[in-house]
Amino acid sequence: MFLGQPLFSILELIKKKEVSSKEVFDYFLKRIEKYNPKLNAFLTVNKSYRTDRMRLPIAVKDNFCTKGIRTTASSKVLENFIPPYESTVTRRLIDARAFILGKTNMDAWAHGSSTETSDFGPTKNPWDLARCPGGSSGGSAAAVSSYLVPAAIGSETAGSIRQPAAWSGVIGLKPTYGRVSRYGLIAMASSLDCPGPLTLTTEDAAFILKIIAGKDKFDATTAPNEVPDYVASLKKKKKFIIGITDEYLNGVDGEIKEAFYKLVEILEKLGHKIKKIKLLSPKYSISVYTIIQRAEVSSNLARYDGIRYGNDRTFFGSEAKRRIMLGTYVLSYGYYDAYYKKAQKVRTLIIEDFKKVFQKVDMILAPTTPIAALKLGEFEKYPFFGEMMDVLNEPAAIAGLCAINFPFSLTKKDNLPIGLQLMGRWFEEENILNLTYQIEKETDFLGVIRKGVKKYPD
Amino acid sequence: MKKKSLTRDEIIHLAKLAGLSLTDSQIEKYKTQLEETISYIENLNELETKNVDPTSHTTLLTNVYFNDGEKNERALDLPAIFQNAKNKEKNYFKVSSIFDE
Repeated sequence: MFLGQPLFSILELIKKKEVSSKEVFDYFLKRIEKYNPKLNAFLTVNKSYRTDRMRLPIAVKDNFCTKGIRTTASSKVLENFIPPYESTVTRRLIDARAFILGKTNMDAWAHGSSTETSDFGPTKNPWDLARCPGGSSGGSAAAVSSYLVPAAIGSETAGSIRQPAAWSGVIGLKPTYGRVSRYGLIAMASSLDCPGPLTLTTEDAAFILKIIAGKDKFDATTAPNEVPDYVASLKKKKKFIIGITDEYLNGVDGEIKEAFYKLVEILEKLGHKIKKIKLLSPKYSISVYTIIQRAEVSSNLARYDGIRYGNDRTFFGSEAKRRIMLGTYVLSYGYYDAYYKKAQKVRTLIIEDFKKVFQKVDMILAPTTPIAALKLGEFEKYPFFGEMMDVLNEPAAIAGLCAINFPFSLTKKDNLPIGLQLMGRWFEEENILNLTYQIEKETDFLGVIRKGVKKYPD
Repeated sequence: MKKKSLTRDEIIHLAKLAGLSLTDSQIEKYKTQLEETISYIENLNELETKNVDPTSHTTLLTNVYFNDGEKNERALDLPAIFQNAKNKEKNYFKVSSIFDE
């Protein structure tokens, strides 16, 4: 009936009264019931249709507090937690007439890049059920890719929107830090966490960002910068100077590099300028991220004592414990300067490095992941348990930049999506969205998104 | 890469600080994994940072204040506060005692 229709088109259909809000709700509920047992993308499905006022069917990652709807962060610690308040992101969506179809699976506490650390079982990659969808917003990515819902909200600390979007073959936008409120988002690393949309089209990403972005009196770290009309500005035919760097191609799979260079050619043909740049090696970002994120994790997870809500600390899974332990180590007496302070200093170097480069280029193009989706269980084989899968995402996250993943071709051998990303200056979501839109209009992302949806007929 | 090593006692101490209880095999596992991670992050010492200020905030916001006397709209009412508590009495959370009688 609507198969593959983006959120924006569904909204138009409801507005024109070609379909009713209830029909849309029933349609997606039916698809979720049909395919979720196989994919495990949803942890909670919201089956109660409330009012015809609702027009935007959407899924939300299970780390956003939704008043009255169970919110677990995929951890047994919060197995039965019913939030007494609404997160700002879901509040703004509901005010914009969204209905939340369900809460999506993720790595427990967002710790991971595969959804395998979820206490409720992994989500499967819709392109190959034996593989990971990526993570931590893996449930959201898989739900959109298989069209169980036309759009979903995820959150990224360093890669958790872009990496699952890349592996599942959808668009994933990580806004600038502070662009979108963190109020009611179960905190992982507070100086890095960013909510953002996963969608089938650039227009939907712009549309959702416009709804959720902006200053929030409940989150002091939100920026006062005005929220532009991201949708309207897509249509401007802007020309950009785009930076590319060898540092982000080292160790990247051959087919992904091929896709990258193919896009470089197309961008030049469209009249954009490509410029070679030099950036600090992303390997330092891994270290900075590891220290800062673990430190903030150990502090944020200290609140889970089982007294006011949730279960006690014996319910933490193995990954959460490992991160709390390391965070406690780098913050402990005698080590603070050597690790935490050093990491915050190198973070300054990384920010300065980007600032310098952004004087010469408008944005940076790079692959999102070094390889396509791993098989379930394969992460264990890699050192750092998959931290390396986010090596290309961590620098922009540490610097607080905005960045967007979009699919661009499939691997020949396994027919898996390849993701590329654009990283933009602080608060220049408009520009990275604008160029992604140009790429979409010119190439249709080589048909990847449509092929993904087609795998899951009504 | 020079391997950093941690002792079993250090792991037990960290777990105690973090309020986590670990089994014997977990202690061994985390010891190995933490050593691996700590050895990797040593690469930051390749970068000179003597005259670099640590980052406090990535988008450079400063001094966001709550105005005196302003209503705190984030505050929850009592039923909401206790809604998820397993063990309460009147308007108090009940916890195990921490002092001996």
